[in-house]
Order: sequence, then C-alpha cells, then structure tokens
Amino acid sequence: MAILTVEDLHKNYGPIQALKGVSFSVPKGSVFGILGPNGSGKTTLLGIILNVLKASSGSFKLFDEVPTHAHRQQIGTLLETPNFYHYLNAVQNLTIAATIKQRGKADIDRVLELVNLEQRKFSKFSTYSLGMKQRLAIASSLLGDPDVLIFDEPTNGLDPVGIVETRELIKKLYKAGKTIIMASHLLDEVEKVCTHVAILQTGTLLTHGHVDEILITDEIVETSAPDMQQLQSILQHYPGAKTVVLNDLYVELTFSPGAASLDALNRFCFEQGVTLQHLRLRKKSLETKFFELTQNTK
Amino acid sequence: MGKLLALEWMKLKNYRTFWILFCIYLATIFGANYIIYRIQVYIYDERQAKGFAAMVLGNPPYSFPTVWQAAAHVSSWLLFIPGLIMILTVTNEYSFKTHRQNVIDGLTRRQFITSKILFAAVLAVISAVMVAITAAIFGFMSGDASFSFEGFSYIGYYLFQAMSYIMVALLMGVLFKRGALAIGVFFAYSTVLEQILVMVLNKFANWTGRYLPLETTDIMVPFPYIQGLARKLLATEPNYTAVFITSVVYLAAYLFITIKKFQTDDM
Repeated sequence: MAILTVEDLHKNYGPIQALKGVSFSVPKGSVFGILGPNGSGKTTLLGIILNVLKASSGSFKLFDEVPTHAHRQQIGTLLETPNFYHYLNAVQNLTIAATIKQRGKADIDRVLELVNLEQRKFSKFSTYSLGMKQRLAIASSLLGDPDVLIFDEPTNGLDPVGIVETRELIKKLYKAGKTIIMASHLLDEVEKVCTHVAILQTGTLLTHGHVDEILITDEIVETSAPDMQQLQSILQHYPGAKTVVLNDLYVELTFSPGAASLDALNRFCFEQGVTLQHLRLRKKSLETKFFELTQNTK
Repeated sequence: MGKLLALEWMKLKNYRTFWILFCIYLATIFGANYIIYRIQVYIYDERQAKGFAAMVLGNPPYSFPTVWQAAAHVSSWLLFIPGLIMILTVTNEYSFKTHRQNVIDGLTRRQFITSKILFAAVLAVISAVMVAITAAIFGFMSGDASFSFEGFSYIGYYLFQAMSYIMVALLMGVLFKRGALAIGVFFAYSTVLEQILVMVLNKFANWTGRYLPLETTDIMVPFPYIQGLARKLLATEPNYTAVFITSVVYLAAYLFITIKKFQTDDM
C-alpha cells in the first residue's frame, strides 16, 4: 500500500511556478525524505497534501484513497513553524489538538515526556524558546501515536542535542513501523535517517527512489605522472572508469562505488609504460553529489 | 455543532484579553443605557419640562412598553465592541497560524469557519439577552407603567442587527487577515463612513442610503417617538419590508462570502 501518491502536481503563485508536475509515491513503512534547497517547493508540496494550499492542477491520494479530513486526523504533522495559541500553555494547546484529532487527552503527558517538556507543561507557549516550541510541535504530531508522520524541517531551531534526539526519535518511530515523510534541506540529515528520497529543485522533481541508489556517491581516484597529457590519453581506455578528467593537479577517474581498485590501476599504467607519482582514492562528498544533481538540469 | 462550539470555548476560556473586552462590553450596555435613562429622568422630573415632555412625547421612553425599543436602540451604538471581539478571535488564528494547524490536524475548512460563525451567533445572542435584561431593569426602575412584552419584537430586530454587525466584522477579519487593518476598516466604516454615505445618498439619491448594509438593520431599531416624528416630518417613510428583505440578503451575502473565501484561499 502506498501511504501517499502524488500525481502531476502543479502549483502557481501568480506567475511563479512553485511546483511543475511532481509525481511520486511513498511506500508504507519508509522514511521518505523530500530534499531540496530553500524555495524548491518542499513546503508547498506538503501544504497541498495537508489541504492548507490548493493545487493548481494534479491530484494526490492518501492511503490509496481520495483524501479527506479523516485521513489528516490519522497523520501527525509538523509543517513549517510550530503553530500554537500564544496565550495557552502546552497542555491547553495539546488539548485543542487532541480534540481536533479525536484522540484522548490521556496521551498528552506521554508525548510531553517524549520531548522533555513535562517540566514546562503549564507555562504559556509565548514564554517558550524556539527549540521548545519546535519540541512542542513534535509532541503534538505524536498525539494518539499515529502511523504516519509528516515533518517539515523537524530539526529547525533545535540545539545540537535536540537535533540528535529528534533524529533518534525518527529512527525509533521508523523501527516501530511508522511511515515518515520528512522535508529537509539538510543532506546529511536525509542520508542519516531516510530510506527513500525525492530531490526537488525549483518545483521540479529531479529524481526519487531508495536512498542507497540516489545518494550513492561515486569513488574518485586521483592520479598524476610526469607527463599528464600522456597519462590522460592512456587512462581514457581504462575499463570501468566512468569519466576521466584532467584538472590542475591530477587526472581524476570516477568509478561506481566499490569499482575502483588502486593496484589494478597502478598495474595498468605501469604496463602502458607510465609510472605514477600520485595515486589516491577519495569519496565524492554528498554536497558535491547534491550540487551535481541539482546543477545537471540547468 | 456542539463539538465546534466546545473547541471555540477551549480557545477562549483562558484568553484574558477576550474576558476583559467581554466584561467591558456587558458593562457598557448597562452603562450607556443608564446615561440615557438619567437624561430622561432629568427631563421628566424637571418641573417646567415635566408636563411639556409628557405632552409631546407621552410616557418616558424607558418605561414599558417602549423600553425594549429604547434599550435596543441605545445598545446598538455599542455593536462595534462585539465586532472587535469577533475580529480579534479570527485574526488571532491568522497571526498564530493556528487556522492552518487546525486544518492540518483534521478539521475541514468548513468546520473551522462554521465554528467562527457559531461564535458570532452566540455573541449576538448574549448581546441581545443582556440588552433584554437591561431593558427590563430600567423598565421596572421607570416604574410608571407595569411590565409588558409589548414591543419586545425590537429585541428580535436588535438580535438580527447584532448578528449583521458581527458578521461584517468576521468578514473583515477573513478578508484582511491582519487584526489592525480589519479593525481599522470595520470601525471606520461602521461608525463614520456609512453614516456619511447614508446622509449623502438619502439627500441626493432618493433615499437609497437606507439600503446600505448596516443602515438596513439600524433603520429597524429607531429610538422610540423618533419614528413617529419622522413619519410626520419626512416626505417618504422607509419601506420597512423592502429594507428588511435587503438586510436578510446582506446577511446571506456576508455568510456566503466568508465561507467561500475561507474554503478556497491558500492558508
């Protein structure tokens, strides 16, 4: 069963196209990351799914059904910013959320404990720090122990400890069999907690699939020899190399993960009559990978 | 319905600003009527004026049966206060973005806006009940005539008038979303702008000013005796049926636009 299926979603804000025909589906039990730089349409996409924004065209389904408010009641959501009544305390705010979700009030203490807010549960929301507000929003999304959670930038405003705790919480929820849809502009966050990823840029879905397939990072081998031109020309014929590029210092070869073998390469060069001065294996950084993914389409 | 009102109650019961404004409002209903009542007492008890006032006006306005109408008319000048409360409760949701969160958590948009309309109705009913109580108190204090429900229909007109004012306020809140802007426009229109337009249109455009939105409900609750005087002095008497029908159409329009706007807008 797909938790969420998005089909050809478009959204225009006047002349600005925020979403340009996005389609994908979120399998049950996955941690689905929606990755993209600021302004790429992540929140717009989630806003449409949660009925706070109207799509210009296209459709989506929740739990393989035409979406209704009853579906939203079964989804724990944190969208963009923590939205609470400033003049009410944590318990009063969560009571309102629980009433709307038609969940019991008994759960309020449990979720406040989960996010370490039980000490301040009778303080007004307006007195909370940014991190505490964010944690209250996470607590609210956990009310009634929903099977599906949507988090938009869940670690926004949290201190390093809070960030780690939140990521641990997401992993724990995933292990408990929950489906989590998470938007983030933080690549390592997605890599650390997600099983699936969709990459969004200026409203276009660049790619989506399993994290191990999408965020796979190529291996790069740096080589140099006294005659760089000659080195480059013989390496052009090296089997298994995806690209061979001569830059200022090195001839760099790119391989699929696990395909680079330094001793084979060394032997190959030596057999071709070239002695290497420099030979080093490095992984392409995720940032480079991301940059590459988002630049290729331009 | 009950669930939506319960939700609205949860939002308000611990909101101090609301309670302060609400209590001030109830106090001003009593207070404003008390001022007019004192003026009446002064006029009617003044020795030289006594016979004259009674001769021209008849019984004091704050005695039964005209007290219902008098209190309703005087109180109608205060309807901008429940309007302010209405704007506050709806624009708060916009500024806290809780309208968004309520929908995300599983309210339908229609349920959300219905809860606000129900609150508007409750506010109007409370206002009318307070006016009725105030009227009864001053009726007994005037003491000249015995208790009577004659003319109580003016409390009904007042309820309709209150509902119209509060719905206009809700509409302003939904249209402008920002509290200060909505309150500014609502105040300016309801207290000054429309009065000017009414005067201008009535003078130069064959009394069409009577058909402006809030004026249609104002006209239904004139001060006692003014009506009679107007009949004698004015060339054209308002067509009360047409005015009333127009006001019903206006109220339906406020409801329709408010619901439509909230259901189709991005949040």
